[in-house]
Amino acid sequence: MVESLANFAQITGIYAVMNSPWGWPTAESLHFLGLSLLIGTVGVFDLRLLGVGNGISFAALHRLVPWGVGGYLLNLLTGTMFLTTAPDQYLFNPAFQMKLLFMLIAGLNMLLFYSTTAASVRGSAATAGLTARAKTIAAISLLCWSLVIVCGRLITYYRPPYHWCFWC
Amino acid sequence: MAFVVGINLAVALKLVGVAARVDHRLLMRFYPLHWYAAALILLSGLALLLAYPAKALTNPLFYVKLAALTGGLSIAALWQRRGLAGLDLDRPRMLALVAILLWVITLFAGRFLAYTHSVLLASRSF
Repeated sequence: MVESLANFAQITGIYAVMNSPWGWPTAESLHFLGLSLLIGTVGVFDLRLLGVGNGISFAALHRLVPWGVGGYLLNLLTGTMFLTTAPDQYLFNPAFQMKLLFMLIAGLNMLLFYSTTAASVRGSAATAGLTARAKTIAAISLLCWSLVIVCGRLITYYRPPYHWCFWC
Repeated sequence: MAFVVGINLAVALKLVGVAARVDHRLLMRFYPLHWYAAALILLSGLALLLAYPAKALTNPLFYVKLAALTGGLSIAALWQRRGLAGLDLDRPRMLALVAILLWVITLFAGRFLAYTHSVLLASRSF
């Protein structure tokens, strides 16, 4: 897997860009911008579901969420650039593995929200209290995205040796 | 960091004209919480500065970051004061674009700090 990811970076030119003096820090800065957009829209919407900012219409606030999705896509792109440039620093890294796990939980949680709860939230009055299910989903989302950021930061502090690879 | 920059970007995007149905005065109700996050950033930033003072203070980018951050937070304070008091904002679009620019500069300068320092510890230069 390490070789195929590294090959991908070579073929697409990602490796060359990331190894230029400005490549890696620029991608990191964009990654931070993306996560700020995600927390500033999706995270704020989660807080709203939990009761902060009572009086703001749920449907109106949700209009900012596409910017969070844009931030997520930006991070998927820049994240792929990090991963494929130095795959051995990520794949065997427990912080990266935990980060992916929390991203997966956040994703499943989001699917659950849009399939079961979003419609009733959209119709709720701006001052109405929400169901326990909606609040639980919001708390899980906020917790997962915070942990994704924490794990992302922790990646830097491990230099994983090959024997950490549990599936090789 | 994500919450402070995020909520400011959200308010700025709203003022630029995205999500016109969101009342920015209501959005500003998130600002009191945002100051707690800002205090947390200041404390952890101060700890990092105390740990590696020479690394930051000898890098011109550190001052760029500090200036942009101060500018961004000043705009947030202004918006909160006027917005929550129900007053109109002067030239909101222009100021919102400036705010977005300042936050982007803060993020980029902050990240590039880790790659551009010429001194790590002052004791190593002697």
